[in-house]
Amino acid sequence: MNMENELRKALRRESSPAGFADRVVAKAGQPVPRPHQPWWKFRPLVFANAFALTGVLFIGGVMYQRHEEQRALEARRQLVTALNVTKASLQKAQERIRRVAAKPIL
Amino acid sequence: MFVALEFARLVRANQSMVFSLALRFLRNHEVAEEVSQDVFLQLYQNLGRIQNEAHATWWLRRTICHRAIDEVRRRKLRPQIGLDSIADPAASRHEPDWFQNERLRRLVEALPIRSRMVIVLRYQEDLDPTDIAGLLGIPVSTVKSHLHRSLAVLRARLARESAPPKGVCYEYGK
Repeated sequence: MNMENELRKALRRESSPAGFADRVVAKAGQPVPRPHQPWWKFRPLVFANAFALTGVLFIGGVMYQRHEEQRALEARRQLVTALNVTKASLQKAQERIRRVAAKPIL
Repeated sequence: MFVALEFARLVRANQSMVFSLALRFLRNHEVAEEVSQDVFLQLYQNLGRIQNEAHATWWLRRTICHRAIDEVRRRKLRPQIGLDSIADPAASRHEPDWFQNERLRRLVEALPIRSRMVIVLRYQEDLDPTDIAGLLGIPVSTVKSHLHRSLAVLRARLARESAPPKGVCYEYGK
């Protein structure tokens, strides 16, 4: 058996289904629907989104930093007040001790 | 108008080639028709780049080969043989080697996709190894090696299928 001849016989071309060419030609005449593109292919949109996101992050970062600075200033003010109150209390206590120490014992 | 006429002529001239190649790989009439139609529509969109009829045939052959390989990988096609894709044995009884052809087609379908592509292009499309190499973008030596190995595999499998099962005695009375 000649394998090559047998393969040529077995692998003869099949005829295409009836009306195939007409269907293809009719489809070709129709307007081709735009293929659905993934979102990352719309470059202007991607750039605009990236720009907006960067802007939002930058402004957010600046606002957060200012907020933190305000909080730090307030905390410092409170600390200074607390230290002043403590200092006054300590001075009072020291004064009292000094007075008590100055009194003669009987 | 001219483009449409030219396109219709190209479709009629190449429809059998494109459909047969798709069918050999996809093994399903509906899928093969769908893919063949897509390839022709792709040709329509690229008609401006086609230089002549031979170029169109080459382009179609190349595109359907690559598209079929992609489609097989994408769909992970298993042998899905629809009822309509199986010829009616009763209607083909006049053809003495119908079963032999069917068996060979089945064995070719079982080959790995690259080898199958090479065998189909060689024996269905009657292309020589150089053309096949150009079409598939692989070295000629690889094509020859695919052909050589595939023929050996087909011969071996055909011989194994044709051999009588062990232990069966065909000579009665002995």
